[in-house]
Amino acid sequence: MGDAMNLLTWLTQFLEYLGGSRDNQPPGFPVAVANPVFWGLWWGALSLVIYIFCGQSSKFIYIDF
Amino acid sequence: MIFNTWAYYLFFLFPSAIAFRLCAPRHRPWVIVVGGSLFFVFFSYTALGGLIPATCLGIFLWESITSRFYRPKSRFCWVGVAQAIVLLFIFKYWNFFVGLAWFRAAEKPYWTHAFLPLGISFFTFEFIHYATDRKFGKTEAGTLGEYLAFILFFPTMVAGPIKRYQQFLPKLRAEVASWSVDWQRGITRILAGLAKKFAIADLLTAYTNHLNVTDLTVANRAMLPVWLLAYGMKIYTDFSAYSDIAIGSARLFGIPIPENFDWPYLQTNIAQFWRHWHISLTSWLMDYVYIPLGGSRVAPERVYLNVITTMLISGMWHGAGVNFVLWGLWHGVSLAIHRAYRRLRPMPQNPSPVSQFGSWLLTFVVANLGWAFFCMDVHTALFFFHRLFLG
Repeated sequence: MGDAMNLLTWLTQFLEYLGGSRDNQPPGFPVAVANPVFWGLWWGALSLVIYIFCGQSSKFIYIDF
Repeated sequence: MIFNTWAYYLFFLFPSAIAFRLCAPRHRPWVIVVGGSLFFVFFSYTALGGLIPATCLGIFLWESITSRFYRPKSRFCWVGVAQAIVLLFIFKYWNFFVGLAWFRAAEKPYWTHAFLPLGISFFTFEFIHYATDRKFGKTEAGTLGEYLAFILFFPTMVAGPIKRYQQFLPKLRAEVASWSVDWQRGITRILAGLAKKFAIADLLTAYTNHLNVTDLTVANRAMLPVWLLAYGMKIYTDFSAYSDIAIGSARLFGIPIPENFDWPYLQTNIAQFWRHWHISLTSWLMDYVYIPLGGSRVAPERVYLNVITTMLISGMWHGAGVNFVLWGLWHGVSLAIHRAYRRLRPMPQNPSPVSQFGSWLLTFVVANLGWAFFCMDVHTALFFFHRLFLG
């Protein structure tokens, strides 16, 4: 159970780092914020996802509140 | 729309953020004021359809003038609170209360061309926060430009996160941090938010569109929880994506703003869920509703009442409808039950994995069942539960 919780914690930190909500890289993940190649590729991948899925869009739900 | 339009980035975010970083510190608040005013007028005009919504910019100007008279211990601060509540009531709840108060009348005094000014639910909460904190001497006044920058800071204007002036002001005055880290993290967060919105939240619409009486009547019963779960995931990914873009946008200015989500669906009780879901709203409700009502420092029965009242207000804030009241009641009662249970059985030091999993599952189910009242009208939600549990 302890291992599973540690893995879950690491995974949340990893996703937060990839998502830009965390500045410090998770333990064992070698890519720093300053690595232009990795982040260039990552931005490209995100842009591709946005390009593929955009256009079907509804508006953000909370705009109406 | 707004955050998923080119106009937001090309006309407002990038020009304002760059100008903010390049200009002298004393001019920075005015860069935000100009950018925020243009943003409000442009999107009110294009998204709400007309000049009248755009003229609601006057609300900010009026608030900024009256805010200059808020002083510690001054009763005039209550005028500020009252005018914010009156504004919200007129624009958001007038027709709802007319429907309740004049339910027998043939001619009801409805506001037929009612509209919601952009972001009114959020900026009125910031007005109330400032007036109250000035009253109790919890924040300095700042200059007119600084206060205008606070209320017109457009990344958070429309749907939060709800900021605090005490936290915002030092960031506005501080030397702007390094471009490279802020822009790297900010753009990453904006792109991740947009990808989350388009590739997850919008795709789930295919499932959530079925939450209507017609589809619920003919659907296989097993599909009902799937559709509701899809809505639970959709609202999380949609609103957390929105918050990602808002926080990422603010980061381009070098201004950190409060987080709104911290893995709420991983929490193991409903109180924890609310500490990790729409965090800026929860903390606002704690500070300006729950604690003034007496908070947890009163008799247990009164605490339960305070919790339920706070969540009822949260429900009403989300929308002028009976379904939102029931959604607030659902969470208020759940929180009260959780609190009562914890009084009888305090949290164990080392809960077993099985009990942790059980707690997580129960929290997940309660939070997701509650969405039925959020996304459907009362009649449809009750029909949903009838079909789900009774076939």
